[in-house]
Amino acid sequence: MTWLILVGLPLLSALAVTTSRGGNRASTVLVVTSALTSIAATVHAALPSEAPFLDGYLHGDETVQLFAPVINFIFMGIAVYVRARVATEPASRRFVFLALAFLAASNFALLCNHLLLMWIGLESTTLAAALMILRADAPASRLASWRYLLFSSVGLGLVLLGFVCLTRSMELAGQEPTLFLDAMPAAVAGPTNAWRELGVGLVILGIGTKLGLAPMYSWLPEAYDEAPAPVSAMLGAVQFNIALVLLFRIVHIYRPGSGPLITGELLTIGLASVAVSTVSIVATQNFKRLLAYASINHAGVIAIGLGLGNAASYGVLLYVLSNAFIKAILFLTAGKIEAHYGTKDTKTIAGLIKDLPYSGLFLMVGTFALLGFPPFGSFLGELLILSALVTSGQMFVFAAFCMLITVSFVATGRTIFPMIWGEPKQVRTWPQQRVSGALHKLIFLGMLLVLGIYIPPQINALMIHVAHSLEGP
Amino acid sequence: MNPLLIAFVGILLVPLFVASWRLSLFGLAAQGLIMAWISYQLDPAVDSVSAWVGLFDLIVVRGIGAPLALYAVLRSQRATARHDVIPPNLMSWTMAIALVFVAFRFADMLVPLEGSEHSFVAGATAGLLLGLLVLATQTGPFSQMVGALRIENAIALFELGGGHHDIGMRIAQTVILILTVLLFRWYLKTLPRASTVKVSVVEGMSS
Repeated sequence: MTWLILVGLPLLSALAVTTSRGGNRASTVLVVTSALTSIAATVHAALPSEAPFLDGYLHGDETVQLFAPVINFIFMGIAVYVRARVATEPASRRFVFLALAFLAASNFALLCNHLLLMWIGLESTTLAAALMILRADAPASRLASWRYLLFSSVGLGLVLLGFVCLTRSMELAGQEPTLFLDAMPAAVAGPTNAWRELGVGLVILGIGTKLGLAPMYSWLPEAYDEAPAPVSAMLGAVQFNIALVLLFRIVHIYRPGSGPLITGELLTIGLASVAVSTVSIVATQNFKRLLAYASINHAGVIAIGLGLGNAASYGVLLYVLSNAFIKAILFLTAGKIEAHYGTKDTKTIAGLIKDLPYSGLFLMVGTFALLGFPPFGSFLGELLILSALVTSGQMFVFAAFCMLITVSFVATGRTIFPMIWGEPKQVRTWPQQRVSGALHKLIFLGMLLVLGIYIPPQINALMIHVAHSLEGP
Repeated sequence: MNPLLIAFVGILLVPLFVASWRLSLFGLAAQGLIMAWISYQLDPAVDSVSAWVGLFDLIVVRGIGAPLALYAVLRSQRATARHDVIPPNLMSWTMAIALVFVAFRFADMLVPLEGSEHSFVAGATAGLLLGLLVLATQTGPFSQMVGALRIENAIALFELGGGHHDIGMRIAQTVILILTVLLFRWYLKTLPRASTVKVSVVEGMSS
């Protein structure tokens, strides 16, 4: 029941921001609230998991224990970034209100023990995020925001339609229809039918749209590019993981009965996403877009791993958690670079490591992690997924995956490395960067290293538990 | 097949062939009201709060609110009467009709026995496919909104055929739909200005 702090506190803070007193300290309210929810999530993760509460509608199970601290912690880093930017740009009360509503809806969706309720939470995060993408100084952001809302509405519409089909399939099988997560495994234990296959297919396609997977991915580069840096980080590292948890739930419940469908669909859309993002990474000259395409690429890798199940499941989790920190580091760094240079053109930015040492360092380390270099968790995660492809006999997918990843690896390096180490095009003088301003990203970096080098036993136990639920028969 | 569902399929098709934004909005309104009528036929007693919320969703939000909200904006912008929901050519029209046949064929496969469930599936699938056709062929915000709302209506028709959730969730779904429609209205008001922004050689960078 105390899990409700994660929802209630941001909601109360959002209300407080609407008052004149709270509004004057909006960015401070944002930081304090996210710090408190991070602490609460971490404390809950350390305690044994609770039974479902509020008539069984909410449940802080192992998946929640694993993801809630990550999501809230990343949100806190984003809040610190927003607060640091207040020194130069006043934080809008409206932005902070929406960000807090987004946090409350994200935590609510994560805690849900009911698929429809989780859908409602995810829709709420979408409505808040659509308004946060808007930037007064960038009219193109309005179009990006509209496309984000449109694709999300259609994607989540397909998910809802999938749920209707799933309940119909239970009725046909003579079971009491339910969307409660803890009751569903028993309700779907019987043989599969056409309604169930249709429902699972639609739900995966719909969630794939929220994750930026092919075929409905075109909103993502535009939204991530046009949105303010903190919002890109929220979409990529917070909302992405909420949608992924919904997909985890579906895979957990339906893999035993609809394994081939899940594997086939996830492998297909995963590989297609890696292919389209690789082509775009090669072509782009905009570093924020490059990060967005890399996000599609990563979503594709996750879909492939999730489709395989079994030994790849642990690798998927490692990759997902690392990916969240990588995206947070890179998008926040991209915001800093864009603010300083006033451009996103990779050809005009060079010598970052001299110009903006901390941003250069974070871009460098973040790119290494993005490309799956050791000792980061993404390296081990990708390795486990690749090994599972071989052991499961998916040699065509393995070969195509290796080729595409190599191309995107070279293309990303060719674009990003001159930005870091190249000769500066013109002499500029920036105010000196302070360590305190980069502390949140340093902590994210520490987390990334922890995931790659030494995972504390308690976190590892949670990961093993969640991975086991994704493995399938 | 239920005459109301025949009317529903008819109202899905007509605005695709008559190029008028007023007719598109009338089509959306008619879809909402027909679904409300179907819902009333299925549960004439209307003896639960959930049923009343369902009727409110169909009549007030889908049947009146959403079309009226978009109508007011287009009227204030003095939009020209002509508006093609899908490209006005033989190819698009053939595809639209073919999709309706596909929807019925799909319903035959999913529900082999003729009956109300078969009709629901056929009507809702036709709505969904035609909504996707509109989205796939149009880039303008208004057409995309019409496409998205057509898909929302198709899902609502699917839900009428089964799946009853408790009152809290029903209300939450309706609130989300209202917020979505309000956002649609806001985008329709403001997007024409944004869509004039040119995109430079480096994609995504406004000039």
